Amino acid sequence: MNEVRPIALERVAPPLDPQPGRTGHALGFIGVFAFLVLLGQAALVVHARPQDLVTGAAGMADFLSRAFPPDFSKLREVAWPALETVDIALFGTTAGVLLALPLAILAARNTTPARPLYAGARGLIALCRAVPDLVWALLFVTAVGLGPFPGALAISVHSVGMLGRLFAEVIEDMDMGPVEAVAMSGASRAAVFSHAVVPSVLPSLLGITLYRLDENIRSSLVLGFVGAGGIGFQLLTAMNLFQYRTVSLLLVVTFVIVIAAERLSAWLRRRVG
Amino acid sequence: MIEAAGLGMRYPTGRLALDNASLSIGPGELVVVLGHNGSGKSTLLRCVAGMLRPTTGVVRVAGQEISRLAGRSLGEARLALGMIFQHAHLVRRRSVIANVLCGTLGRHRNFGSAIGQLPRQETPLAHDCLDAVGLRRFAAQRAGTLSGGQAQRVAIARALAQRPRALLADEPVASLDPEAAEEIMRLLRRLASEEGLAVMCVLHQPALAQRYADRILGLRHGRTMFLEAASAVSSADIAALYEDVTA
Repeated sequence: MNEVRPIALERVAPPLDPQPGRTGHALGFIGVFAFLVLLGQAALVVHARPQDLVTGAAGMADFLSRAFPPDFSKLREVAWPALETVDIALFGTTAGVLLALPLAILAARNTTPARPLYAGARGLIALCRAVPDLVWALLFVTAVGLGPFPGALAISVHSVGMLGRLFAEVIEDMDMGPVEAVAMSGASRAAVFSHAVVPSVLPSLLGITLYRLDENIRSSLVLGFVGAGGIGFQLLTAMNLFQYRTVSLLLVVTFVIVIAAERLSAWLRRRVG
Repeated sequence: MIEAAGLGMRYPTGRLALDNASLSIGPGELVVVLGHNGSGKSTLLRCVAGMLRPTTGVVRVAGQEISRLAGRSLGEARLALGMIFQHAHLVRRRSVIANVLCGTLGRHRNFGSAIGQLPRQETPLAHDCLDAVGLRRFAAQRAGTLSGGQAQRVAIARALAQRPRALLADEPVASLDPEAAEEIMRLLRRLASEEGLAVMCVLHQPALAQRYADRILGLRHGRTMFLEAASAVSSADIAALYEDVTA
């Protein structure tokens, strides 16, 4: 009887996880060294002084002792700016979605009616995204004055940039089969869009929008620092007036809003997913 | 019903995909198109459907010269043509009945359908179409939950909801198991024989073609090798169609 001999696999194919050779070691060493050099220059540029954390501990302890307990008697006064903060995000996100959706249709290769419109829409979306929302808020405060409205405008313009790009990517990645099938039934372009494109991409668009709303609530908290209303404005004022117990109350309210928005957004995203 | 004469198709790359193909399919007739990959089967079907404009020749569907139409008039002419693809191409998140109702949108080119309203007055017809493919009880089910064979039958119901006079099927059984493939072919055969539809079907399975087709069109490198009654097509004819396709 013939003996069955195992095939020497190592002779047929090289090992799947070969040991790095000398060149691999050298490249790894150069990579680590280059990263350490970059980190060093970053530490120099930001004036990193860990010892300041030790010397500043007393100041931080002093701040905490003055800030504790939070001044809950001012809760009613804080309620309105808190609502303003949430509303800046809500209004800004809704306006952003309404503007981003038509732009995304123009900015997606598979739905754009003409190449120049595609380029124009992509350019506009990139411009809205490239400028940070804090800078947009500064510009709008200059244009329409202090208050929550410039904050909402800043959030909506920046959202157009973020949502427009993500919406366009979702539309480009969608399965074009149902679109082709509905078009072949003789349906108009608008009907093909509303009956085949919209139902296919809607859950993804809703998920992205809810995530953006969550992000925008966080952003609207800091827009007040440049005069665009909400809790941020109250926080800056309280800090300037050394009202540390009010500051701690505002931080507690901020924490509650952020966590609540995060939880609500995650729950809704699970529902529509 | 479907008349194609002297069809030629040369792509911008210079490749000749279809060379002087002619075909006519009458009501109640099922014609299967066979050929190797790149033989021009799908190009021929897409020319007939008005999805591609042929370089030469004409296509008439129900008397209308579809190869010269564009825009809205092409959309209206397509009402006579129900199209079935390799994959069912259903909107997976919508119900089965909603998908079937999408087949009626060509008859309802109004504001309501443009903003996403389904023509609910067509619901009885949509149920009849589901009846025809044996899936009435699935009407309320989400399309994404169907099996491949069921989804393809819903796609056929969607095409029937157009009230077409001809059905064009582009490899409708390519992604199905043998049992589901037989079921789809039986259905197409019945729709031709009992409903009087002209059916043109691109296939890769000669055995199915010989069992269900009235006539078989054999294409090789874009040229018509034969167009004969299914019973007259021999194994040698089929073998010649596929052999040494790189030549």
